[in-house]
Amino acid sequence: MTWDYIFVQVANGAVIGIIYALIAVGVTLIFSILKIVNFAHGDLYMLGGYCAYYFIALLGAPPLLAMLLSMATLFALAIVLERLLLTPLYSDATERKDEYGLIITFGLAFFLRNIAVIIFGPYPLKPPSFIPGVQHIGEMTVTNDRLFAGGVGIVLILALLYFMHRTIWGQALDAVSQSRESAAIVGINSRRFNSVAFGIGAALAAAAGALIAPIFSLAPDMGVLPNIHAFVIVILGGMGSVLGSIFAGILLGEAENLFTAFFPDPTRALAYTNAFGLLILMVVLIVRPQGFFGRRHLRME
Amino acid sequence: MRGLHIYILLAVAALALVFADRLSSYWMHVAIIAMFYGILASSWSLLAGYAGLFSLGHMAFASIGGYTSALLVQWYGIPIPVGMVAGVALCCVLGGLIGWVCLRMTGPYLAIFTLGFSEIVRIIFATEDDITAGMAGLHVERLFSTTSRLPYFYVAFALLVVSLLLMGVIVRSRWGLFLRAIREDEQAASASGVAVARFRILAFAIASGFAALAGSFYGHYIGILTPSIGGLDFMAVLVVMTVIGGMERLPTAVGGAFVVEFLLEVLRGYGQWRLPLFGIILLLTMRFARNGLLTPLWLRFVQLGEPRAVAATALRDVPQKDPAQ
Repeated sequence: MTWDYIFVQVANGAVIGIIYALIAVGVTLIFSILKIVNFAHGDLYMLGGYCAYYFIALLGAPPLLAMLLSMATLFALAIVLERLLLTPLYSDATERKDEYGLIITFGLAFFLRNIAVIIFGPYPLKPPSFIPGVQHIGEMTVTNDRLFAGGVGIVLILALLYFMHRTIWGQALDAVSQSRESAAIVGINSRRFNSVAFGIGAALAAAAGALIAPIFSLAPDMGVLPNIHAFVIVILGGMGSVLGSIFAGILLGEAENLFTAFFPDPTRALAYTNAFGLLILMVVLIVRPQGFFGRRHLRME
Repeated sequence: MRGLHIYILLAVAALALVFADRLSSYWMHVAIIAMFYGILASSWSLLAGYAGLFSLGHMAFASIGGYTSALLVQWYGIPIPVGMVAGVALCCVLGGLIGWVCLRMTGPYLAIFTLGFSEIVRIIFATEDDITAGMAGLHVERLFSTTSRLPYFYVAFALLVVSLLLMGVIVRSRWGLFLRAIREDEQAASASGVAVARFRILAFAIASGFAALAGSFYGHYIGILTPSIGGLDFMAVLVVMTVIGGMERLPTAVGGAFVVEFLLEVLRGYGQWRLPLFGIILLLTMRFARNGLLTPLWLRFVQLGEPRAVAATALRDVPQKDPAQ
């Protein structure tokens, strides 16, 4: 095993980690505002990838524009879904909201995954590259698409952080996540921010889907594993912590790639990589359920 | 006449047994699979509906039970029923263990934890192919050597009835009350003297045991086991069945399994459209009739033999989840 190989694995791990983080910050944002874990998040990511693909294939949009359009589409779609399905969560008449949120998002995931098979077909699709070609850095080779995905991913995460910490809407979101009542007292319409949070989460997932599409391909069930990975990250980073998700995302991407590289039996390495991530998830849930960056007021009772 | 519904159910059961041999081989298969799902749906309703422990690992226990029984029979040549009992026993212990480990987790955390568990189990079964034959499928010794499906029908029927009776006794006893108390408010239950930890573990152990029973029967009936039985797709179908029927009662959960399995076969001509259709029905059920579509029917059915006035008050006493009430 050469150092170059390990370098390539580290670089790939970082890119995948950033993509994971992009999905996971959506889950954590939605959790901190709506207090539900979105089991359909991986399927929004899948839809985002397909949306970008069709903007390229049918409208001839440049890939980057297609990604932005796909984000906008998913933002709108998510708000529609949230209005249709999640409003009972805000009513006091609804009992056991945890259970309601779980089953409704689980059912939504089931619906989206299966309708995607019909609309998009079961065969994998591959959109064109953002920037074709590869980069040679020393001895190692990294495709431009991976670098581009990593770069855009970082920009989006920075934009989200800016939005959360430096704009009035971001501050309002934070206020709603801390206390719905207090936010209402200072005049924040918390209902609107439920929609905004769900929409932003979906838009980020869509970006991740569009970015990953040229690297892997699009398939209706592509969202299943990233969804579980997003849970691993969110649990690791602490529910409701955006920064925690970013750290944990990159950590998980690296850990998995190095696990694949060093696993003694190469024929099984890939299969057990996913199990490895899940094992981390289970151990963290047992040992430290609030995660490592969790914010106390968001801990789920 | 009080208890009329019980006599009706007995009559239907007797008719089903007597006329079972009139069923075509195909519909008998559908009926057997429906009963397999019936055991799974009712045991999952015990866990998720009664105790409020929304576990996504139920099918994992079915697959563990199935593989355990199949492999034990294959390796040691023990009789199949003994293998099935071993699978059930193992899953009771494992289920109790999972229940113990996730005692502190509630709601979505529990769901994510059990999802992780179930995926790990599936990955192990798929990857260790020198033992489990992986995705190619493990050949399992069949319960009967005949090609007729009739004996399987009787066995499935017996397993379903016994499971339902056992679980029915549990949920109608004080234990059932404790489980529902835990579902509604764990701290309040604990403050009222319910041994929350013990009953959460018990609920997991019992439900996992029944899942293993269904899984091991399925293996010995179909004759082949693949890791996908413990996957998310099967779990999703199980959730669809149970929630559409009504997850807070055993009979409605079983009814949901029967209705959905039957509709899946009737609508076979629509192919891929069936699953999204049931997805939509699930979402609508959850959104507008959270008690399940069969629950109102079941409540009327139970009150069939009673005088009108009594029935009306009884109906009113049933706790309603409808926000309009």
